[in-house]
Amino acid sequence: MSRTVRYVLLLAVFLISIGPFLWQLSTSLKGIGEDIYANPPQFLPADPTVSNYSRVAGVIPVWDFALNSLIVAVANVFSNCVGAAMAGYALSRMKFRGKRYALLAFILALLVPGETIMISQFLMMRSAGLTDTLVAVVLPGAVSALNVLLMRNAFAALSNEVEDAAMIDGANSWQRFARIAVPSVKGTIAVVAIFSFMFSWDDFLWPLIVLRDPGNYTLTIGLNYLQGTFASDQRLVAAGTIIAVAPLIALFLALQRYFFRGVGEGAVKG
Amino acid sequence: MQQVNRVRRMAAVVLAAGLMASGCGLSGGGQAPAAGPADGQVTGTISFQTWNLRAKYSDYFNGVIKKFQVEHPGTTITWLDQPADGYADKLSADASANALPDVVNLSPDLAFPLYQRKLLVDLDQAVPDAVKEYLPGAWQGFVMPGQRDSYSFPWYLNTGPVFYNKKLFADNGLDPAKPPRTYTELRDQALVLAAKSQGAVAMFGQTPGIEDFGLYGVELMNPQGTKFTFNSAKGVELTELFKQMYDVKALLPEALTATYTGSGKKFMAQQVALSSGSAYDLKNFKTDAPGLYANIGITTPMTNTGKANMYLQGVSVSANSKNKATALAFARYVTNAENQLAFAKIVTIFPSTTGTLNDPYFTTDDGTDDARVRVAAAKQLATAVNYTPVSFTDQMKSILRNELANVMLGKSTAQQALDSAVAQCNKLLAA
Amino acid sequence: MTPWLFLLPGLLVTLLFTVYPFVNTAVLSFTDAKVLGGGAFTGLANFSKMLDDPLFWVALRNSALYVVGVVPFLVILPLLLALLVQRHIFGMAFFRAAFFTPVVASIVVISLIWTWLLDSRGLVNNVLSVLHVISSPIPFLTDQTLLLISAMLVTIWRGLGYYMIVYLAALANVPRELHEAAEVDGAGAVRRFFSVTVPIIRPTMVLVGALSAVAAFRVFSEVYLLSGTSGGPAGQDTTLVMLIRQVGTGLSGNAGYASALSLVLFALTLGLLLVTLRLNRSDS
Repeated sequence: MSRTVRYVLLLAVFLISIGPFLWQLSTSLKGIGEDIYANPPQFLPADPTVSNYSRVAGVIPVWDFALNSLIVAVANVFSNCVGAAMAGYALSRMKFRGKRYALLAFILALLVPGETIMISQFLMMRSAGLTDTLVAVVLPGAVSALNVLLMRNAFAALSNEVEDAAMIDGANSWQRFARIAVPSVKGTIAVVAIFSFMFSWDDFLWPLIVLRDPGNYTLTIGLNYLQGTFASDQRLVAAGTIIAVAPLIALFLALQRYFFRGVGEGAVKG
Repeated sequence: MQQVNRVRRMAAVVLAAGLMASGCGLSGGGQAPAAGPADGQVTGTISFQTWNLRAKYSDYFNGVIKKFQVEHPGTTITWLDQPADGYADKLSADASANALPDVVNLSPDLAFPLYQRKLLVDLDQAVPDAVKEYLPGAWQGFVMPGQRDSYSFPWYLNTGPVFYNKKLFADNGLDPAKPPRTYTELRDQALVLAAKSQGAVAMFGQTPGIEDFGLYGVELMNPQGTKFTFNSAKGVELTELFKQMYDVKALLPEALTATYTGSGKKFMAQQVALSSGSAYDLKNFKTDAPGLYANIGITTPMTNTGKANMYLQGVSVSANSKNKATALAFARYVTNAENQLAFAKIVTIFPSTTGTLNDPYFTTDDGTDDARVRVAAAKQLATAVNYTPVSFTDQMKSILRNELANVMLGKSTAQQALDSAVAQCNKLLAA
Repeated sequence: MTPWLFLLPGLLVTLLFTVYPFVNTAVLSFTDAKVLGGGAFTGLANFSKMLDDPLFWVALRNSALYVVGVVPFLVILPLLLALLVQRHIFGMAFFRAAFFTPVVASIVVISLIWTWLLDSRGLVNNVLSVLHVISSPIPFLTDQTLLLISAMLVTIWRGLGYYMIVYLAALANVPRELHEAAEVDGAGAVRRFFSVTVPIIRPTMVLVGALSAVAAFRVFSEVYLLSGTSGGPAGQDTTLVMLIRQVGTGLSGNAGYASALSLVLFALTLGLLLVTLRLNRSDS
């Protein structure tokens, strides 16, 4: 494909994709007294200001909330990457009795409609004495079925040769998993990392239900306070959403190079 | 999408699924509610939950709590505040686990199911002398159907003016000095507006809600509160008024699906000429829609009964509270005249205590729009009613909206649609 | 023993926090439980109620239509997008991040923008009427069929970036040597795509197909928000998940009926998944 065509296509998709985000950014920069419901809408702030961002911090303890969110998200990324990689590896590259049933359990779990089980989960956490802790926020999504299936898919695509060679060398399954298999699927692990970060960063209802002390609240709950009961300031809400989205985009930029690592590269290194 | 839907917070969501195979029930309910006056020492720790007030009013609440703790040594109030969305879900989970906060901020529609499960303290029993401290209309707002007792201390009230867009009125053949006062006038003016603007400007952005039926003078329920009756001739009449507007595009097409918030935004975007609102909306117009603010007209709500509609919030005490005496004392304290007046002054809502609305703050019009709206609303509240029956759930609201949409689309007559809505709502009510 | 140690964390979490609570849901579906209280065994009452509930059939139809309307696009378009951004050229990191933004942007904001675009007085209608393409506004959001199609559009748009990432990870597994070998053979880009790329990422296409089918069948936010939370005019665009929430929501929700609906939804998605996988097996 010629370079020009490629850029034209890229730009077209770019404009379609980024529109809402820019819109939000623009609203968050609008000054008091600008018409934000104007029709046709005003794309550029007439009186740009960053004061909305500092006002967010004045209204809610945004950094405390963000720290809680970060703890939860990092724990979630870790448990998902490790747990899903291990399960995915067993499901794709090991032979054992009951494998079909284990796989079935994950597939069925993937299909369970999430909302219907929340009160049940809450009562479990309560009897375990975990309510109002960040542990309770992490647990139900600690290893998601979707991620297990993604990892299984990735490991299944690996060729057998390198691993067979290692097996002859006397490496046990843990060594083969850690040294050969995992480095070969870095791309998928990056995907799992970003999906689980996103999932936990965005989750609202579960943390809301399981937490009680506002000091433990996560960012998504915290930002919801910006939708005032009486007068809600759309600029603050927009600034809040930008604050919430920024880490996700940064994470994506940081991880994206892993999406392009070839499988052969990893195996050779291993 | 597999990823999280942030919407989940918008939908009031949680479904149940308890550990309850064998009738051990999702909820703790069923325990004996407090009967008779609650006595006991006002001491110890209780929790107090409000709904989305922390961000802006934490100074006020911390002040109230501190004063109470000083006046009642030995008490500690833990203040919890829930964010805007998911409040019903949070309450459902807490109620299922028998863990409602001791003192909890509720609206009548949230109080009703909790009352049904016997999770709230009967206040007429527990504190028989409290009733005289509140406006009768407000106290009545938390009296449950078929009952004489209230289950919540009335807290803040709200009632709104009707806002209209003077420029859209003037440009389209209407007199900006004569906004509609009844639904019939609304229809008449809407037809003119639509004809003059050739359908480009709509008068209104919503089909009628249950409170509109109330304002129109329709009897919503039988006196026992066991059956809905809004399919009467009057209800049909109101529905047909709206159908006439819809047919000439005087009602926005989006009215079929719009909620209150949706139609408010259309008003801010100056696509509809008239919308009901609240005193505090003025501030929003000023900062978010200055173009509209320059042309804003303010008038009294349309009503055939002479009584405006009122929204109210209350403060209830959990029947399972381990410290009922303190909880009752604090709930009453938060809603007393002094604290309500102070709160009303910072929020542009209205107090529910007897006599407080006579404060000069609510009676003196200093010429500003804000004061004008405030004084008018306070006057309105003297007789205002919460038309929405406490047993009218969100699901019933959507049934009504769907049936009305069928009328607008010409798929059913007003009578058929209302009959069907009433039948469905009655079935839900009986379940 | 070792395989089970590998499976332990994942299996434990899944069984404890998803499968076990869902068993409770299944039990509830045979009772008249409310969100608060109740819970007497009522046999199949909830299920027979479902068969008589016109809204259930409407919701079933809409959810099924959604799968048909969305899945083919979500299998193919993100793959093409992934191929487009796979190459390292100047500014690519920027473009990739941009394509990902719809995935992370709040759905609430997304729906605000799309509503504003598709509204009866929205941008699209304004432009079309200025150009005299149309004489009266196209009812994107107030016509039962068009509303569903509009929601599908938003779903596809959001899915682009999401499934693009899944494809990118899989494409990274296509050994470059294979492409180079094919290039030497003189195969054009299109031929290389079908002869080299597709066979290798085929399992991923199946996975994306299955995931997007399951997600489409359970669609909620797009329809919910574009219809102003109402489920369309007269509720005719309600989907299964919307219905479940409508009946099971809030303090007076009917947990028994909502559970029965969830159970049926679960069974139908399972069937859908099996069909997807079977289709794939039969044509390979």
